[in-house]
Amino acid sequence: MSDLRLAGQGKGRRLRALLTNPQYLMVYATIGIFLMIYLFGALLYGNKGFTSVRTFMLFFSDNAYIGISAVGMTLVLITGGIDLSVAAVASLTGMIIAFGTSVLGLHPLVCIGIALVVGVGLGALMGACIQYLNVPPFITTLTGMFFARGVTSLISRESISIKHEMIDALAGFKIYLMWPNAQGEWVKIKPVASIDLNTIAFVVMIIIGAIILQKTRFGRNVYAIGGNEQSANLMGLPVARTKVLVYSFNGLCSVLAGISYALYVKSGWNLSLNGSELDVISACVIGGVMLSGGVGYMFGTLFGVLLKATIPAIITFNGSMNSWWAKIFTSALLLLFIIIQRAVIASSQRTKKKAGQG
Amino acid sequence: MKKSVMQSAFLRSKLFWAIVAQLLILLVGFILRPDFLSIQLRTLSDGTTVLYGTPIDILNRASEITIIAMGMTLVIALGGTDISVGALVAVSGAIALKFLRWDVLVYNTPGDYTVQPFILVLLLPLLACTLMGLFNGMLIGKLKLQPIIATLILMVGGRGIAQIVTNGKQFTTQYSPFKFIGNGSILGIPLPIIITLLVILLVSLFVRRTSYGMFVESVGINPSASRVSGLRSDTIIIIAYVLTGFLSGISGLIYSSRISSNDSNNAGLGYEMDAILAVVIGGTSMTGGKFSLFGTVIGSLIIRTITTLVLYFGIVSEAIMAFKALIIAVVIVLQSEPVRNAIAKRRDRKRLLMGGEARV
Repeated sequence: MSDLRLAGQGKGRRLRALLTNPQYLMVYATIGIFLMIYLFGALLYGNKGFTSVRTFMLFFSDNAYIGISAVGMTLVLITGGIDLSVAAVASLTGMIIAFGTSVLGLHPLVCIGIALVVGVGLGALMGACIQYLNVPPFITTLTGMFFARGVTSLISRESISIKHEMIDALAGFKIYLMWPNAQGEWVKIKPVASIDLNTIAFVVMIIIGAIILQKTRFGRNVYAIGGNEQSANLMGLPVARTKVLVYSFNGLCSVLAGISYALYVKSGWNLSLNGSELDVISACVIGGVMLSGGVGYMFGTLFGVLLKATIPAIITFNGSMNSWWAKIFTSALLLLFIIIQRAVIASSQRTKKKAGQG
Repeated sequence: MKKSVMQSAFLRSKLFWAIVAQLLILLVGFILRPDFLSIQLRTLSDGTTVLYGTPIDILNRASEITIIAMGMTLVIALGGTDISVGALVAVSGAIALKFLRWDVLVYNTPGDYTVQPFILVLLLPLLACTLMGLFNGMLIGKLKLQPIIATLILMVGGRGIAQIVTNGKQFTTQYSPFKFIGNGSILGIPLPIIITLLVILLVSLFVRRTSYGMFVESVGINPSASRVSGLRSDTIIIIAYVLTGFLSGISGLIYSSRISSNDSNNAGLGYEMDAILAVVIGGTSMTGGKFSLFGTVIGSLIIRTITTLVLYFGIVSEAIMAFKALIIAVVIVLQSEPVRNAIAKRRDRKRLLMGGEARV
């Protein structure tokens, strides 16, 4: 109905419709609260450099591994599933790279290849288990998490540092942000800010995820399954294939997140990223993805990750507050967001009812 | 022929496969090490006699998870999950140690004393955990939030609260009544086992002697039908989460008593996962509905037995997870609907060929 009305009308109308569409309300709420918290930080710690481009770029590069993993997680959550194995698989990836390069002397690309096979394979296996054996996603991926963590510990219990020129080159890759000075020469901005490989990977993955979700048949199938799996099945959509693919894609994202984290810390450790799967899930939820499935946007997830990054940053800038306050604030934020979600669902249901009566 | 029908139904039940798995794991332990199943009486240096042996150790060490899993069974039967229990274990320990040591600057050495009355040391952690359970229950029962996300709040925030209580410090204590909870024994039986048995007994009585258990199953199978037929589903949901919170508090006291200390970062780490697994292996479906407290106890014992078995053979403790995952994967695959039906069908076919009756 609303699409019909939109057709053939001006761009202004379309923009307004885009802004008032209740589907996007959660994403707007995320962006709004992100801006509010950022402004709050800017007012308090603007003079300490909170507003500098450098700080802003650090939000991306310090949280790239969470963001990359959140791309896959968004797809999984939209199908109505959940994946608890992401952090363990990322940790396993880091360990494979570290052990392979430093102990076995393999080339990093070989290690990454092995990690990709393991990660995507485990994802596909879990997807198949969920689809064909009807085991709940929570239990299946929990077992996957135990397995990946255990294997990581079997490889090594000690932290192994990664020493290889290729990894160093990749981790050291930076594009410095430049601006013209008074003489018209291009110089590095101060404080020095740069875009590193992790930031690029994060942004590229978000864009790829958004294209998959919005522009492909596969993406539409993902939404359809999350909306109502039975209907999707009756419509003849390839439910089984889509679900297995979604979990495999998430496995791929976990491996990429693991590579990103390995570049970030340059080591592999069996206890690294412990509990990070919940950081990833909560970033998605804060970004407006609903765990009941069917609702979520990649753009929202991007801001969910940024919003989650802002809180520890403010606490670090404060200096006198203990790090555990970050946990408390993050949980308060989560509470706020799920209550907003609840209100949005309730109001949209009311409108639907009204439309049904009218 | 009724017997064969029942046999077939039992073969289809998840509980049957859980018991088989537990017996198999014990058998593997026994074959690898004949003393795996032996229990003996041992006299300690202070003259008390205690039961000693791997089976006792498994029961003892399983208590924390078993106690939490009792509440978790009801939560899962209602179609929910509670992933905050591990954090609640940390909160419970933090509050208990806070009241035992109070101001570390004044009472700077850990000794056989408590600063606040011992009854407060026991009751306040339980009260705090019960209130946090109530918070979970209100979010899920009244606001109808999704259980995983609603309890994620306290899972993240709970450890923060535990750190605030003790100001991020780790206290130790030598107060003997407190240490008795996790390390003591009555008539040779370790106290955690006795507490666990009491909890199992009381929860079973509450669930089966009152209509609460039936209400839980009813809400778990069909929430809207239950509401239409006049059940107050929100109250039923709140009770389950409150109970789980309270039981996490008990578990936290046992844990912190065992280590005579609080540990906001590591206490109860991963308990939510173990408790949920225990419930699911025990045959209660994640989608809600019928539940089995006995099954949950078996599930919890399976998890602990795997851990003990792996530790027994000197494999590094962190790697236990891989073995746990493999064994649990086998149990879950055996229990999954398609596989169970296939096995039962095969037996039916065999019986038909032999001239018997098929399953009705």
